[in-house]
Amino acid sequence: MLPENLTAVVARNETWTGHSATEPYECGWAKEAIAFVRALKAPKGKLPKARIEISADGMHWAPEGSSFELPAALDAVTFQRVAHFGSFLRVAADVPDGAEITVLVTLHLKA
Amino acid sequence: MTQLDDMRRAIREADPKLSRYDPLPRIISFDDFDRGMCGWTQLVGNYEISLDQMLPGYAQHTHAQLSTLPNWDFGSHGGVDGSYALKLATRARRGAQNVTLKRLTFRKPGPIRMECYFTFKPEATELQLMETDVRSFGFLYDLQVGDRAGAGGERVMPHLRFLNAQDGKHLQKWQFKRKTTEIKPIGNVGKTISHYHLADSDWEDLPGGEQKLCYNEIPTKINWHYLRFDFDLSTMQATGFQVNDRTFDLATFDCIRIPAMKNLWCMLNLCFFAETDTDKRTFAYLDSVCLSGDF
Repeated sequence: MLPENLTAVVARNETWTGHSATEPYECGWAKEAIAFVRALKAPKGKLPKARIEISADGMHWAPEGSSFELPAALDAVTFQRVAHFGSFLRVAADVPDGAEITVLVTLHLKA
Repeated sequence: MTQLDDMRRAIREADPKLSRYDPLPRIISFDDFDRGMCGWTQLVGNYEISLDQMLPGYAQHTHAQLSTLPNWDFGSHGGVDGSYALKLATRARRGAQNVTLKRLTFRKPGPIRMECYFTFKPEATELQLMETDVRSFGFLYDLQVGDRAGAGGERVMPHLRFLNAQDGKHLQKWQFKRKTTEIKPIGNVGKTISHYHLADSDWEDLPGGEQKLCYNEIPTKINWHYLRFDFDLSTMQATGFQVNDRTFDLATFDCIRIPAMKNLWCMLNLCFFAETDTDKRTFAYLDSVCLSGDF
């Protein structure tokens, strides 16, 4: 059987302001992931970098070490590759006052 | 019982994975989540041109997850007989719901049977059992007659949920629903409509549907439950419902029934859903699901 391969939409049309993150996604079966972020509306203000976070339990989170730009324009796409991440993944960002971005975040996971 | 029935039963009962099920003669799908997602996906709401048009009930939905039921205090729980189960997680907001579904069509309008092993629990954010955090776990079919059914053909949606708790009260009873919310046009092209049939309204108690399901003493432990629901696609009526050792009388049960839609002929969708009663995520888990039919 081919190894598992999944596209999971973890945030759809969610507007990020302040401390923002995707819902916890359990994917300990996967050896690798790419997180794609697409801006569904023109972003406002100065955008921070997004970061990958990992967790032992889906409740307590630590930065995995990877960070990447958020898309700067409508329909622009950014992404981050990640591997060896344990059981839970999420994408997080601290969006400063006056800035906001409406995102589509997808995880592309492979066993 | 024919010789074929006997042989089929003997073969199935010799297979440890199938022998805990009682399928009808033909297995439509047998989803053991040790083999991956098995065609279970996210229920996305309808939209036209802009995602902003999606009804809020659907906008909150997220993707189901392959889970080992990991817990901070004792590690992975695992499934009935393997490492993985399908996890459905709500957001951490009172009243939040999530749905996972499988989209099929049927080839013969006759009896079908859905069986599964399920469990549910709240996210273990506190060091105490909160048996009233989970509002409900349930399932539904979304069905429609074939395109030759003629006038009066219906889209039929049998719903059942285990109302575990509401407003802090531990209610533990099965409910069904006959009404949906208003059907709303989506966008202005005229091709798309939407209705949120899982709204927390219009649920009715199933007579005799009180059931004390096994639950554990702390919010990280679970026990698996067996569920069977029988439905006849020829009459569009439910014919049986069992959970663990209890079978329930469906004499008063009925479904949401709306006129057939122009695009959904022979639809056979199966959904599971979960709902939280507090600002804590509810997790519903499916170890495996067996859908079978008599055709």
